[in-house]
Amino acid sequence: MTNEIITQEEINAIYSKVADIIADALGCDVETVMPKASLINDLGAESIDFLDIIFRLEREFKVKIPRGKIVEAARGHLSEAEFENAGIITEAGMARVREFLSEVPADRLNSPQKYAEIPKLFTTETFCKLVIRRQRATAAGEAPAA
Amino acid sequence: MDGHFRAFSFVDRITRPGGQVRGLYQIPSGIAEFPIALVAEACGQLSAWTAMAAYDFKLRPVAGIAPVIELLAPVHPGQVLELESDIESLDAEAVSYNSLAKVDGTPVLRLQHCVGPMVSVEEFDDPQALKQRFDLICGAGAAPGAFNGIPPLDMKFTGLEPGASARATLHVPATADFFADHFPRRPVFPGTLFMHKVLELAARVAEGVPLPAPNTAWVPRNINDSKLRAFMAPGGSLEFEVRLAKQAGNELTIRVEAKKENRITGHSRIVFIAEELA
Repeated sequence: MTNEIITQEEINAIYSKVADIIADALGCDVETVMPKASLINDLGAESIDFLDIIFRLEREFKVKIPRGKIVEAARGHLSEAEFENAGIITEAGMARVREFLSEVPADRLNSPQKYAEIPKLFTTETFCKLVIRRQRATAAGEAPAA
Repeated sequence: MDGHFRAFSFVDRITRPGGQVRGLYQIPSGIAEFPIALVAEACGQLSAWTAMAAYDFKLRPVAGIAPVIELLAPVHPGQVLELESDIESLDAEAVSYNSLAKVDGTPVLRLQHCVGPMVSVEEFDDPQALKQRFDLICGAGAAPGAFNGIPPLDMKFTGLEPGASARATLHVPATADFFADHFPRRPVFPGTLFMHKVLELAARVAEGVPLPAPNTAWVPRNINDSKLRAFMAPGGSLEFEVRLAKQAGNELTIRVEAKKENRITGHSRIVFIAEELA
């Protein structure tokens, strides 16, 4: 996935649509879908909701979002062994996570961080950035990873 | 009698396999009714066959998300459902599809952007048996008439404020013929039977809403944003909360939530339109 810097302006441009989609998918009021809200910890999202949100984002923004690859995208150029060890994110992995999930409040990005719990870090803005990355990739003619 | 491929199977023939799959189902003549929710089940099963075949019967979809279901016309015993499913996307995580069911060429139900998460077949059914069944329905077709109807489902109102809200408890049966087919290795209360009871509950609340014109009735026309979050095992109970969410002119929206031990297991919004009585 393309991983250039994403500006707050870019996020703001699509934020309300993304928030509406998350609210519809979770059956909650859009006012509760705050930019820094963790979808799992704050809004009660489950894996079925992530699937729902991804499909809705695809339809709304006309992009293809590789399923099952969002967490893998956080790994970036690091190998699996460099990124996590026995289910815990390494120091190098955490540096990568802090960079990739720059929208997540710093006090939530603590070691030890379990690999399986990375989705708990995802916020509304995380999904905005996901859409923007896919829009850029689509514009660049990049096929989504299988 | 073994209920596998009998008690809750609603595709007799696949007339065109593949991503734009077409099939048929003959509603048995001898049953009392065939709820519209089971037409949705037939559409879902048609899509499921395509998804299973694509993964050599190692994976199968289960009911998950139905953003839009249009209820276009009732169906009746003896009619033949003409089923169409167009697969939007399919991978090891989920299948997404649109479906249309017709009777004599007239649409009776439409599903849009349904999503079924994929799970391991072995946990639910015998892959070889599924493959053999698929070969049968893609070839000569299954003998029609196996479905004996839905048994009475024990649902009791625990609170009803007509036109406003309701609470009810559904006791999922501990045993039922449909569990042998849904699914043989892991019985699960069908999501479409959940949908069937949701429609009943919503209709009871809608009854109490004043109609905008004489000689009209509230008719359910859409089920929106349906989601099933958990499997419902035999013998459990579900608590339903139903409330009028919105009313504007000749349209009203009823929201239904189901909980098990305080966890939301499913929800839907049902849209009713005030229509002139025939």
